Amino acid sequence: MAQKKARTSTKKKAPARKKAAAKKKAPAKKKAAAKKKAPARKKAAPKKKAPARKKAAAKKKAPVTSERPPAPPPPAEDSVSREEIQAEPRRDVFRSGAPLDGASARRASQVVAEEMEPGIHVTASSYQGPGLDGEAAAEGRGRLFEGIGPESARAGARGASARDLSLLDRVGELLQPGSYRRMISEFRMRDRSEVVDDFGLDPLFADKWRPLFELLYRHWFRVETVGMENVPDQGGALIVSNHSGTLPYDGAMIMYAVRYDHPAHRDVRPLVEDFIFHFPFLGVFLNRVGCVRACQDNAERLLRQGQVTAVFPEGIQGIGKLYRHRYQLQRFGRGGFIRLAFKTGTPIIPAAVVGAEEIHPMLTKVTWLAKYLGIPYIPVTPTFPWLGPAGALPLPTKWYIRFGEPLDLVGQYGPNGGDDRLLVGRLTERVRSSIQAMVDERLSRRDSVVFG
Amino acid sequence: MNSTKARDGASDSAMKGRHLAIRSSLDPDARVVAVTGAHSFLGQEVIRKLEQDRRYRKILAIDIRKPDIPVTKTRFFKVDLTLPNADGELAHIFSKEKVDTLVHLAFLSKPSHNTAYAHELEAIGTMHLLNACAASKIHKVVHWSLTALYGAMPRNPNFLKEDAKLNGVPGSRFFADKIEAERLARRHRNENRASVVTVLRTASILGHRVSNYVSRLLAKPIVPVMMGYDPLIQVLHEEDALDVFKLVIDLDFNGTYNVASEGVLPLSTALAMAGRVGVPLPHPLAYPLAKVLWMTQVFDAPPMYFDFMRYLCVADTSRAANEMGYSPRHNIGQVIREFAQAEGEA
Repeated sequence: MAQKKARTSTKKKAPARKKAAAKKKAPAKKKAAAKKKAPARKKAAPKKKAPARKKAAAKKKAPVTSERPPAPPPPAEDSVSREEIQAEPRRDVFRSGAPLDGASARRASQVVAEEMEPGIHVTASSYQGPGLDGEAAAEGRGRLFEGIGPESARAGARGASARDLSLLDRVGELLQPGSYRRMISEFRMRDRSEVVDDFGLDPLFADKWRPLFELLYRHWFRVETVGMENVPDQGGALIVSNHSGTLPYDGAMIMYAVRYDHPAHRDVRPLVEDFIFHFPFLGVFLNRVGCVRACQDNAERLLRQGQVTAVFPEGIQGIGKLYRHRYQLQRFGRGGFIRLAFKTGTPIIPAAVVGAEEIHPMLTKVTWLAKYLGIPYIPVTPTFPWLGPAGALPLPTKWYIRFGEPLDLVGQYGPNGGDDRLLVGRLTERVRSSIQAMVDERLSRRDSVVFG
Repeated sequence: MNSTKARDGASDSAMKGRHLAIRSSLDPDARVVAVTGAHSFLGQEVIRKLEQDRRYRKILAIDIRKPDIPVTKTRFFKVDLTLPNADGELAHIFSKEKVDTLVHLAFLSKPSHNTAYAHELEAIGTMHLLNACAASKIHKVVHWSLTALYGAMPRNPNFLKEDAKLNGVPGSRFFADKIEAERLARRHRNENRASVVTVLRTASILGHRVSNYVSRLLAKPIVPVMMGYDPLIQVLHEEDALDVFKLVIDLDFNGTYNVASEGVLPLSTALAMAGRVGVPLPHPLAYPLAKVLWMTQVFDAPPMYFDFMRYLCVADTSRAANEMGYSPRHNIGQVIREFAQAEGEA
């Protein structure tokens, strides 16, 4: 009731708008329709019968009025110009204050819808109001009896409050060719942000996958993380970790640990081998959750931007170890990560992951078939490929992640240490052995693979 | 609001560099600029910008068709760059009109089926032009190039620097000719140490007035995309492009610069924001299909362009920011939205 009062007050306040609204309500098509059908119906149909529909129709029409009150009366509105007007509010949603994520975009659209509220009643009143000339009234009535046409449905869709639509509206909406495109676009953007960082990290998308990683982190692998204080709250850092487990769950768990368990909730950007990164679907997924293709240029840019970057210098040699070689760290690449740390002056944080080796105990690997698939090997574990997709489920081992003391190379050896190849080799080995020591230390205290 | 701020910032830094950059041999208030490809979008808009600046005394519009814009101090010269005597003719014009700066924009904006003509225009035409420049000792050459020339490769770093190799697109004459033209511009720089050669590699220019194969692709309601791939893309707003051309015509910057509007977006996000529907095609099928469509002239780009829908080709614009003090006024989100809106209204 209170609402109704409010409505009447807006009605009185807006006589100027009224006219514009009334004139806008007069599309050429309707005119023709009214000429053909309306005279008979016009008289036969009493005004009272209509209010529910009328309101609905008015509601649909309203945003136009509130959007462009001072617009000149459209000369025999053709379909193009109508479309233009109706498409407007949606764009405004996008434009208003640069909505960074879907949530705020949604909020913005609601705001727009609310703002439109007064206009609704202006239109309703203008239909009944005395200030109208007969023709416009007739057109208005003609429109009423045509029911909720596709036009009003389209107008309703643009209000972005699809919840309020009746079934009829929805059907009308589906009859519009443009609506599919819009719906598909909205559907595609439902968990995607409109702004990504330089390397394509999409915060909304990453958050959407959080429950899955949370399940793995908390309940499946029951990861215990120590040394989190060694990851800085701000500024660049290079996490160097051992790599194992056939599939890169270790990278995902390090990411999760620092993103959600670190007090500063920092995004870790793991550097990913080319072949994974350009694998269809997988590469896109990795890119959106924050992975970056491994190359010196990218790593340098990330560290200069002050991001926490994770590297696995063992690469494919490490992740593809056979079960009998578990926890024996492989060669740490060619020391690229040491040169990188010297170049950018970032600290190295050695990290040890224990538990990942046993998730897919690889007995042997098939390489001859794999090369046709563009992957380095097909793993053969006790369960895969024998059990099919179920065999690809990681075993629920107990995990430990330990971040070691940061190593400040530039502080110790000066900024030009990266040019000394022997030093780079020595430091590479030192980092490798320190990670090996952390792994061995944890293994010696571990009683069970599954229970820790 | 934001954009005006950015614009002021850009012109401030431009002012700072002005004393350093403009050489004493040039009369700063009576510049004469020749623009090739004057009928193209970029050509016309650059001429329009120069017309408004009173420091430019005369503008020479060189093309085979007259630009359709109102002009006061622009003279049109009909020169076909593909003709064998074009270099002599141009050298004569340049010397007679005392041209100090040449803006070379005579490039095709879309791949042509007539590859022979494209080669004559882009590679040989550039050669004629630069020969004329060398003969008449033109102070500055501004050469338009594309960041797409780096090629979309799986091994590209996320941001390609200016010194990255120009791979182009394998088997595409369209890019090979442009790479050749750029090579000629570099050779001109090496052979004429006294002159300034600015090579601007622009990202795909997008706007409601410009037409190239990217803008036409984005203008379609349904856009084929590669199933399972979603690279980050980069675009350049048409106004940003004009700003940077004006900047390098005003001041001297010897070197190659990548230019793009701020930010990157995944292709799928850009399409969704523009209200386009991406139809994912498996790439082993899409290439042969597109080849047939290209050969039958149904589709306006050869299949190799699908590479840009699979792999990264994003340029690092920090050099333009640091050396030229250039900061674009738009970010990619604004560019896409503006473009989609203009398309919707058209």
